Amino acid sequence: MRVRRGRSRSSPRPLGSWTTPWIYLAPALVVLGGLLVYPIYQLGLISFFQYTQAQVSGGEPTTFKGFGNYAELFSDSQFWQVLLSTVLFAGACVVSTLAVGCALAVLLTRVRAVPRLVLMLAALGAWATPAVTGSTVWLLLFDPDFGPVNRVLGLGDHSWTYGRLSAFFLVLLEVVWCSFPFVMVTVYAGIRAVPSEVLEAAALDGASQWRIWRSILTPMLRPILTVVTIQSVIWDFKVFTQIYVMTNGGGIAGQNLVLNVYAYQQAFASSKYSLGSAIGVVMLLMLLAVTLVYLRLLRRQGEEL
Amino acid sequence: MKLAPRFAVLLATAAVVAGCAPQTSDNSASDKDETSGTLRVWLFQEVGNDPKAKVVDSVVTAFEKAHKGTKVDVEYIPIDTRAQRVKAAFNDPKSAPDVMEYGNTDTAGYVHDGGLLDVTKEFGAWSEAKDTDPTAKQSVTVDGKQYGSPFYVGVRALYYRTDVFKDLGLQPPKTMAELASTARKIHMAKSDLYGLVVGGAYTYGAMPFVWANGGELATAKDGTYTSAIDGAAAQKGIKAYTSLFTSDNCPAAKCAVMGGNDTITAFAAGKAGMAIGGDFSHSAVEAGKVKGKYAVVPLPGVASGSVAPAFAGGNNIGVLKSTSHRTLAVDLMEQLTSKATQASMFDAMGFLPTFTDVRDAAAAKVPFEKPFVETLAAGTKFVPASPGWSEIDSSLVLPTMLQEVISGKKSVAAASKDAAKKMNDAFSSAG
Amino acid sequence: MLRGFVRRPWRLAAEASALLIAVVVAFPLYWMVLSAFKPAGEIESSEPRPWTLAPSLDSFRRVFGQQEFGRYFVNSLAVAGTVVIVSALVAFLAATAVTRFRFRFRTTLLIMFLVAQMVPVEALTIPLFFTMRGLGLLNTLGSLILPQIAFSLPFAIWMLRGFVKAVPDALEEAAYIDGASRTRFLWQILFPLVFPGLVATSVFSFISAWNDFLFAKSFIISDTSQSTLPMALLVFYKPDDPDWGGVMAASTVMTIPVLVFFVLVQRRLVSGLGGAVKD
Repeated sequence: MRVRRGRSRSSPRPLGSWTTPWIYLAPALVVLGGLLVYPIYQLGLISFFQYTQAQVSGGEPTTFKGFGNYAELFSDSQFWQVLLSTVLFAGACVVSTLAVGCALAVLLTRVRAVPRLVLMLAALGAWATPAVTGSTVWLLLFDPDFGPVNRVLGLGDHSWTYGRLSAFFLVLLEVVWCSFPFVMVTVYAGIRAVPSEVLEAAALDGASQWRIWRSILTPMLRPILTVVTIQSVIWDFKVFTQIYVMTNGGGIAGQNLVLNVYAYQQAFASSKYSLGSAIGVVMLLMLLAVTLVYLRLLRRQGEEL
Repeated sequence: MKLAPRFAVLLATAAVVAGCAPQTSDNSASDKDETSGTLRVWLFQEVGNDPKAKVVDSVVTAFEKAHKGTKVDVEYIPIDTRAQRVKAAFNDPKSAPDVMEYGNTDTAGYVHDGGLLDVTKEFGAWSEAKDTDPTAKQSVTVDGKQYGSPFYVGVRALYYRTDVFKDLGLQPPKTMAELASTARKIHMAKSDLYGLVVGGAYTYGAMPFVWANGGELATAKDGTYTSAIDGAAAQKGIKAYTSLFTSDNCPAAKCAVMGGNDTITAFAAGKAGMAIGGDFSHSAVEAGKVKGKYAVVPLPGVASGSVAPAFAGGNNIGVLKSTSHRTLAVDLMEQLTSKATQASMFDAMGFLPTFTDVRDAAAAKVPFEKPFVETLAAGTKFVPASPGWSEIDSSLVLPTMLQEVISGKKSVAAASKDAAKKMNDAFSSAG
Repeated sequence: MLRGFVRRPWRLAAEASALLIAVVVAFPLYWMVLSAFKPAGEIESSEPRPWTLAPSLDSFRRVFGQQEFGRYFVNSLAVAGTVVIVSALVAFLAATAVTRFRFRFRTTLLIMFLVAQMVPVEALTIPLFFTMRGLGLLNTLGSLILPQIAFSLPFAIWMLRGFVKAVPDALEEAAYIDGASRTRFLWQILFPLVFPGLVATSVFSFISAWNDFLFAKSFIISDTSQSTLPMALLVFYKPDDPDWGGVMAASTVMTIPVLVFFVLVQRRLVSGLGGAVKD
């Protein structure tokens, strides 16, 4: 009793003083402050300046442009087109990844140890494949001249990267391939944590599989599903390597650009660093909005951070 | 929601304070001039680079022998990613090479970025420099000052397969219209060959079509450039070039993404009846399957017997402002572009010398060069000498325009108008 | 677990489809290894066959002969190894701080760790370039290690929270009553208990460090001896004329260490991911 009172009055830990957590946090804060917060600050700063190669290498002085870069960006029709395709593409990736991942997680619970291990290992293999490697292998699989896919489907020398949609579709396949394992493994671990008595009781009561999934598993898995959804959104919205490698930097006439690649091209190919930074800031703000929704969901579920 | 104010605080603390400027480099000229140490050299990685490396090695060995205590470190950088490498080098003088090869279209841009050293004095004092071809000299000159030494000139002409032409009873085309019809005939007769292999990202293959039709990239007035790519004549040229991307010659699905190197690779591999290639592509083609089965003629113009104006390409070798071995670096630049080096580089790679006397000797020795020298004599064109050109080039304005037309996304008029707008933005922002 | 009440034909069908899906999922990897072993002419054939009768090591020889591939391999390993170890230790301390203590700005910090994951890395290359230049790290492996640590930390901290929280308070109190110091509790009691979680999170930092080609491309400018594997891979992948055999051999070499790492931590990964999101 005495211990309890003492705790609630001063600090939650017996030996705790207010400095301890900060000492523990210090290394993380130093690294993040120097290599994340400060660069983000610089990013914001650059987006308000005229900042091209001439300024970077000291040939000309930097000039303050205010919201000029943003105005230029928002009046550019290509930006809106890229923004739209980013949102649609990321959305399609998230939905497909979650659907495949969840379905396979359920499948894992229905099979015996050997097939389970085989599928698990295959998925881990896909997960372990570096993005650059995965992208090149998928390109080879779908290569018009030497790829087995066209041969099997009898498509002749159909080029998958020529059409806008088919190029996006190819990249989507690769993204789903390398990101569904995370969802599958996590959801599978979550289902296993559901007490089996609950499920057996439901089955004995004659509930259908669909009903068990909808009425019992979904509510119990909701925290997990929220986590994998938000992670997928974060990752898929930022897809870079796959687009960059598979469509050779954004596709024919830039048809397969997504925001991240677009920002990179603006900044590094055209050396419009300030415009690239402005796109980066816009992306950051959009993902922040998603985070707010996420936090709101967590709060509504009564979960504490 | 209680979180919102917290975010506002976070954002506010991270917000921009308009007094601070972002970081920049101090790329002023290095005042050091060391007489020993390591010199870093960046040269372009060519298709089939070994002969080039051999010539460079012998120059370097001689240079190292002549200058005790110096070491030369040569690196071959891929042409595709050169823009990023060079920019990074300008941004971090410590990583920068002392001497580098660069495309002559980049001269104005690199000078504007403050990366290249003014070598007017040394170039003037160099005894060999007086024989430099005036157009080549023009390509290292910005505002009357020289920023390097010409390495080679390059022009493109029409490569064609002698065996295929003989089989089908064809003659080398005399006009641009004939060029297109010959290409279609080849593809019709031999469906595994592209008639004339063309690339949607092959700007300098497309430009002769624009120029031959009387179009221009841009027009200069009082030192400022205005794009002319959407002019009626230019549009005609764009139309002529893009109409070659059809299933009866070079299917868009394959050819739209190709660049200049891809078309040469395809021709060298025996996959095309004709290609637009440079004199500098000679060794790559020789190394391919078509060795001994091809010939070259000047690219025909609109009128019969005329030559389409070619782009006067080529590369220069320059010294970076940040070098701490100024004297040595300039000396190495001269050695790498000397008459002797250019003569052996011609033998090794077929790079046309920039010295008129060396070039004439080379052309007399090798009949292969005749069509290229003819093309040079017929008059060549150069890209706008504006720092904006580097940006137009590296942000792929013209390839995007061509690809938009080829893939049917935009009409010639709309695509060229958009491209003209982007070009004008680049010209004006680069001042 | 649902085994008891799933009928037998259904289970067989489920197992068959599980195996089929495993084959489809593993197929790209199989094709990669296969293409690496195919002799030169066979990859570029218009009749691709899912086997090869004359496996050859030519592509691997080209990969190891053409560049200092062995050196890049060691570089990559050094970068990924350092990132994994440092970020695991730093994240462990930070996660302990935010879960086992209550202090001002705790929630703010947590939100920041979440937000930090959303930063598009690519957009930060320019400011990071200047930071690295300021630190004098350009052209060294340090310029790859430091940013990778920074970018893997937020996710690692976020994931480790669950593990640290799962260790009962009573255990901590008992330790203190036994006279253990805070440091002793942290490293000898808490650390071993949280270890499976550290393994699960290190998978993520390992992959991102191992895969990175953006930082390598931007920060390793003049000293190619400091290059890493993904950069070496891109050399073989020339868009005009890709050397597929070389690309696939290099990819195989690049993928194997990650696969080994995954198989080693497989069990801990499954339980680890479950633990991370269970709280």
